[in-house]
Amino acid sequence: MTTPGTGQHPPVILIVDDDEGHAILVQQNLEAAGLSNRFEHFTDGQAVLDFFFHHGPNRHSQPGETYLILLDIRMPKIDGIEVLRQLKSDPELHKLPVIVLTTTDDSREVERCHELGCNIYIQKPVDYDKFAEAMRRLGLFMSLLLVPPVKG
Amino acid sequence: MAPNDYHSLSKEALVTRLENFEREASESQRDLVVALRELRDVKAALDEHSIVVITDPSGKITYVNDKFCAISRYSREELIGQDHRIINSGFHSKEFFRELWTTIGRGKVWHGEIRNRAKDGTYYWVDTTIFPFVDEAGKPRQYIAIRTDITRRKADEMVLQQFASDLAEKNKELETIVYTVSHDLRSPLVNVQGFGKQLQKACEKIQTAVSSASNGQVPVEVLKQPVESAIPQALKFINAGVSKMEMLLAGLLRFSRLGRVVLNIQPLRMNPMLNELVAATKFQMNEAKADVVVEALPDCLGDRGQTSQVFANLIDNALKYRSPDRPLLITVRGRKDEDQAIYSVADNGIGIPVEHQPKIFEIFHRLNPTGTPGEGLGLTIAQRVLERQKGRIWVESKPGVGSTFYVSLPAART
Repeated sequence: MTTPGTGQHPPVILIVDDDEGHAILVQQNLEAAGLSNRFEHFTDGQAVLDFFFHHGPNRHSQPGETYLILLDIRMPKIDGIEVLRQLKSDPELHKLPVIVLTTTDDSREVERCHELGCNIYIQKPVDYDKFAEAMRRLGLFMSLLLVPPVKG
Repeated sequence: MAPNDYHSLSKEALVTRLENFEREASESQRDLVVALRELRDVKAALDEHSIVVITDPSGKITYVNDKFCAISRYSREELIGQDHRIINSGFHSKEFFRELWTTIGRGKVWHGEIRNRAKDGTYYWVDTTIFPFVDEAGKPRQYIAIRTDITRRKADEMVLQQFASDLAEKNKELETIVYTVSHDLRSPLVNVQGFGKQLQKACEKIQTAVSSASNGQVPVEVLKQPVESAIPQALKFINAGVSKMEMLLAGLLRFSRLGRVVLNIQPLRMNPMLNELVAATKFQMNEAKADVVVEALPDCLGDRGQTSQVFANLIDNALKYRSPDRPLLITVRGRKDEDQAIYSVADNGIGIPVEHQPKIFEIFHRLNPTGTPGEGLGLTIAQRVLERQKGRIWVESKPGVGSTFYVSLPAART
């Protein structure tokens, strides 16, 4: 799949979730919905911040690459709220599309995430049929997104 | 009044009138005496119940009753001629008194609650009614203030307010816990459901292969994927999810039971307690080549079992999060700060970055969930245990240098 109209290859989808099982289920279902994007998995907020702010010895974002973040909220070390805050207050990184994908549907949490600049908030349904359906629709939606590149 | 007609009256009539006069005079005098007696009784009762003061229009005290002297701890001589600034506590605003004076200056009754300061510096609250007496022109001639001591009630109100705000805080805390736990319990459920479905699909695949095996032989290639990867992966996540929920529920139960444990607050000798705790971890300490130094500690007031658990947890954490680069050294110190005993448990372990520090007391939060065992409850419980004993816990830490956990408890009276 190429991003329509730009000739770019599709964005790398970063799944930021401390639960490996969730990451596998999300990826499987998005792939089943037809996404052929590359996936990367981060198990806490610190890891994904290090990735974009180029801290530490681990993987870093690549110039010219486009990214799309699927962000969980409750994670060890640095939670999703703080990741959102740091990314969205950066002059360049705030362009990154962030989809919050978490297990709670607390209205205050939804509000807080939107205030901080999250683009979409989706609850992971516990019921698996609903979960699969939510991921299928999310996959279809994501295939339509045009994502700007960010300078690392 | 009798008409001025004496010159025309007969002697008899004059005598009768004189007799009438005398009778009326003594009657009205008797009435006066009765009225005075009543007034005196009312005043006695008032003096018994209330604090009474009379001032002139400028506010200078012209009369105080005994109760005023008693509560203000000033003598009558010290008060007469002064104004009320002598007992001003500085608690109320200028506007408060301006409004009071405007009201009574217009001849209107003022009612309110005032905090005053007695001669010995103590404070007392009075419920006050000031009644202005006005002259024919409507100008106040004098003010009588009648007051009731409400110091006790005010103190109770303050306690009540404190309770209410404590309760509100507790409620907020509880909400956070419910929120956290509901999220944490849902997470494994998503896995159990999702991988359950994967298991079901793998089984269906095998069933189809079995039922379509014409010669009773199932081709291995069809079974490979479900048997070698799908089923083991599904089982791994389902089992992990179930254990996670089990652990969360057990932890939650343990946490909730804390609030019901009856505390036995007593003076605690901390050096023997720490020595015991260190002795109990001797094996792990030796294995880790760790050293523990316990300096002289002040005694405190607390529950023996619960306080010991807090320190055991801190020592255990120091062991768990030791640095691989250097042998672990734990130093336990203590000092007295007024009525508080403050202890520190310092290590030279991996430390905690500043941005992660607020998280460490959160229920079920783990900074490094894969590296070390644990349920993310130790520090949450320590905080809760200490709170119930009027204590506190906080941390200072530098990544790569080490962490120091501080514990404060009421000091033992010596």
